[in-house]
Amino acid sequence: MIHHVLRRLALGLVTLFLISFLVYGLIRSIPGTPLTVAVAQTDPSRRLNPADLERMKAAYGLDKPWYQAYFIWLSNVARGDLGRSISRKAPVTQLIGERIGPTLALSAGSMLLTWALSIPLGLYAAARSGRPDERAVSLGLYMLYSVPTFVAALALQVVFSVWAEGTAWELPLFGMTSGLPHTTSLGWLADVARHAILPLVCMTYVSLAWYTRFINTNLQEVLRQDYIRTARAKGAGPIRVLVHHAFRNTLIPLVTMLGLSLPALLGGSVIIEQIFTWPGMGRLFFESLRERDYPTIMGLTLLFSLLTLAGQLLADLLYAWVDPRVSME
Amino acid sequence: MTGGQPTADNRRAATPSPRGFWGEAWARFQRMPLAMAGLVFVGLMAVVALLAPAIAGTKPIVCRYKGQIYFPCLAYYGRSLEPVVFSQDKFRGEYPRNLREKDPESWAVWPLVFQDPYRAVRPDEWPGRPGNPARDQGRPGRLNLMGTNQNGVDVFAKMVHGTLVALLVGFVSMGIAATIGVTVGSLAGYFGGWVDAVISRITEVVMCIPTLVLILALLAIVEKPTIWKMMAVLGLTGWPGISRLMRAELLRLRSAEFVTAARAVGASPGRIILRHLLPNALAPVMVPITFGIAAAILTESGLSFLGFGQPPPSASWGSLLNDARSNLKMWWLVFFPGAAIFLTVLAFNLVGEGLQKATDPRLREARK
Repeated sequence: MIHHVLRRLALGLVTLFLISFLVYGLIRSIPGTPLTVAVAQTDPSRRLNPADLERMKAAYGLDKPWYQAYFIWLSNVARGDLGRSISRKAPVTQLIGERIGPTLALSAGSMLLTWALSIPLGLYAAARSGRPDERAVSLGLYMLYSVPTFVAALALQVVFSVWAEGTAWELPLFGMTSGLPHTTSLGWLADVARHAILPLVCMTYVSLAWYTRFINTNLQEVLRQDYIRTARAKGAGPIRVLVHHAFRNTLIPLVTMLGLSLPALLGGSVIIEQIFTWPGMGRLFFESLRERDYPTIMGLTLLFSLLTLAGQLLADLLYAWVDPRVSME
Repeated sequence: MTGGQPTADNRRAATPSPRGFWGEAWARFQRMPLAMAGLVFVGLMAVVALLAPAIAGTKPIVCRYKGQIYFPCLAYYGRSLEPVVFSQDKFRGEYPRNLREKDPESWAVWPLVFQDPYRAVRPDEWPGRPGNPARDQGRPGRLNLMGTNQNGVDVFAKMVHGTLVALLVGFVSMGIAATIGVTVGSLAGYFGGWVDAVISRITEVVMCIPTLVLILALLAIVEKPTIWKMMAVLGLTGWPGISRLMRAELLRLRSAEFVTAARAVGASPGRIILRHLLPNALAPVMVPITFGIAAAILTESGLSFLGFGQPPPSASWGSLLNDARSNLKMWWLVFFPGAAIFLTVLAFNLVGEGLQKATDPRLREARK
């Protein structure tokens, strides 16, 4: 077991190294540097003169070829220093720290909602399998699953921000707060909650549809097992069979899903945060990519890849932990 | 697929009309109304995509000009296909008036809807018809079936021509991804050992890099992202899932008896993979490929929506949604492209699921 984990960790380090090396090379070959892009966007007349540009390049270490700069970055990371953002003039760790809260608020909220709704829905769908009402619900969820998030987000904006303008149903178009000063923290919380409704709905509906289907499919498979027939034969009621005998046995794949959803929890959703201008990790990533802010992109890439790998490992470990039949050897 | 072939062979013994594995699968597929509906929808899309210049356009489908027959509508498939005579005679894209003035004897067969996907129709361009309304005035109406965008470009024309873009993106990029994925995956699965170790590591790296970084970085490197470069980028980033599945299939199949038999009669690895293993592993791989087409269409429209697509004028559905972002009052800019993307993705998902049910032997047994 420990041997396996150590092996995975070592392999993970190799993968992380390869990913960061590749991404560093990729982003350095995008035309434009943080210095030229940012200045050109604000004001073309304020463009740096060549001497200043060279001086600033040297200050940020951009004068070296990318593979050299990569190893400088890597040795800093090994010492726990993610560097400073070039376009925002702040440490990368601080930027990430500022953005992680809003992202977590959305993703954790969405995940809780998904679990709270999809488990009962999945059980319901399995219990009423094949009946017209279950068919309708399942088809509805299936169709929901095919709605692209950006289409849903735009449609919700049109309905709740433009059509409902001036009514009680009006919801804020974007941002996390309305920017007005709040006297109480409760008022602030209510303001954030109002802003969070639309992004939260957009983040939840796809995973809701997906998880419900997943739970339902697993339940269908378990319900065909012999021990379910045994449970029915000895007189257990339909609800007891479904929850106690069947559902408990579908928890194994569900637990794996929990591990795999780790990166989504902290990574945020670029598109949703971008549409609703939610100040989260996804938006930070998008902005830093546009500003060619190498240190921030690298910090975020490292974080995302680390989470993905950790999520996979966590899923495997959880799998072995909940299912005694699975061994790690 | 522990042998699509053995199953088919058993059936062959029992039933009078022998059908191959794919024949069986097709018969099962036809019994699923939703999957068939998806397939029919994709077929309809293909028809619309191919006939787009004849459905909506400002160039005649066929015309007779100065004694010659021309097909100016072909220009929508590629700029170079526009007959040179029209640029020599300074038509500047306005056919109705120029045809009449420069050759009174001329005649033309026009597209069903006289609207252009790349520019607004000007007043009196078609005799007696007003120009397209710009800004937020272009509600859906008789002349603009689905309204116009803020620049006065007809949404219906964009939708029709965007169908071709969507289908091309889906099939071409997934074609690239499938080719890479199947090749790489079968090499890893068949040879195992260090080949597998190297390939698996590469696959893992590509999977772990945030897709958006990969796509945006590649798109930025190629600069001026045309729709073709977009397809290449989507293809180059979309293969790891297929590769992993292919590897798993071959790992399972390579120790099967028919492979040992093939090896025993002296077949080369290339022949074993191509002739013996691939046909048996194809069915499970077809499913993620179908889903992948939907995902590619989705990604392309998402990128165009974020403003990373082909620079305007482009006919991508996503670019209409991008217009809608700053013009939320124009609901038709959300509704029509949104519905089109939704239905397309739904159709491909239904086909993919039908394919899965029709080809997966485990599900087949379970239903009995």
